[in-house]
Amino acid sequence: MAAAGLGPARPLLARRPGALRALLGLARGLAAGPQTHFGFQNVSEEERREKIYQVFENVAEKYDVMNDSMTLGIHRVWKDILVHKMNPSPGTLLVDVAGGTGDIAFRFINYVRSVRERQLQQKLKRHQNLSWQEISKSYEKEKVKPLGDSQVVVCDINKEMLKVGKQRAQHLGYSEGLSWVLGNAEELPFDDDKFDVYTIAFGIRNVTRIDLALQEAYRVLKPGGRFLCLEFSHVSNPLLSRLYDLYSFQVIPVLGEIIAGDWKSYQYLVESIRRFPPQEELKEMIEDAGFFKVDYQNLSSGIVAIHSGFKL
Amino acid sequence: MLRAGRGAVAALRRAAGSRGAGGQGGGQGPGLEPSLLRFLVCPLSKRPLRYDEAANELVNEELGIAYPVIDGIPNMIPEAARRTQKQAEAVKETSGPAGPQQ
Repeated sequence: MAAAGLGPARPLLARRPGALRALLGLARGLAAGPQTHFGFQNVSEEERREKIYQVFENVAEKYDVMNDSMTLGIHRVWKDILVHKMNPSPGTLLVDVAGGTGDIAFRFINYVRSVRERQLQQKLKRHQNLSWQEISKSYEKEKVKPLGDSQVVVCDINKEMLKVGKQRAQHLGYSEGLSWVLGNAEELPFDDDKFDVYTIAFGIRNVTRIDLALQEAYRVLKPGGRFLCLEFSHVSNPLLSRLYDLYSFQVIPVLGEIIAGDWKSYQYLVESIRRFPPQEELKEMIEDAGFFKVDYQNLSSGIVAIHSGFKL
Repeated sequence: MLRAGRGAVAALRRAAGSRGAGGQGGGQGPGLEPSLLRFLVCPLSKRPLRYDEAANELVNEELGIAYPVIDGIPNMIPEAARRTQKQAEAVKETSGPAGPQQ
């Protein structure tokens, strides 16, 4: 993007929206826009979007390795818990936003697959006096619809993350019921009332207008649909909080440099976690978007929280 | 540059008369997964899109823009959308020397 090179000139150009638009061709009416934050820096909304895009462009290849190193593998447990909480039944339509490398999508597929297998086994057990023909027919059915019409659409704003996700899917053998879309959480390219579940795992923190993302989440969910958000949150215990801070600011950026060769991106990550609203505040924002029965579940003493809400 | 390479390969395949599964159109790489069509709309207007298989694009006729499908992944970011011919013509008409045509 040509924007990166303009740096200090941008605030000046921003005061002449026509010139900026003509130069960058990026305008959507937010030339300089209101101020927001990037980690601990203060930047314009447009700048924030670009900087975050670059962060994930840089880390995409090493994203999964970094997640394992930073959280000592615990992020896998958090994601498992999210999908278990979702408890999807075969036939569920899931949209996983900011789902980049596919962690939630793959877990969803595994889950419905095993639920479906169990369903078919139960059915067989009940019909003990079936002929061999009938039994083999029901095995055929399982092969044809192993997911029972369940589908997950992974939507992410970052091309590199989606690329990595698609490669992982191929590598791990996921193809059925899985699709990928390049899209913006603030402006989803999906029709109203389409999905049973909307998830956003470790992504909402990187959205510039969280209120818009929540509104879009509400819009694309079916009535009765569920919103689930897994995100870093605030630790209330003071001792743990100190240890967590120490680990975050002293260890994580160093890991970032060693493993991904990118100190700054991981510095941003740590700062963005501190800037993100705590549990109660996020709960209110979700309620403002129209969701009902909103509550949250702390994991690992509040290092991470799962927020849930329903569209009625 | 990579895109040019892929285009050349596609052209060669077509010449050889063999068609890859999923129909390699004139666009870039594999086409769109059909199951997505029931969810996708234009992110700006939230209105339905038409899938142009040949060009491998999702077209919004009303706004006159088209979203590309690259490597089977539709790019639904408004900034990435291409203005289609129709919109370019409409713009010419309204700003032409003869004044507004309607």
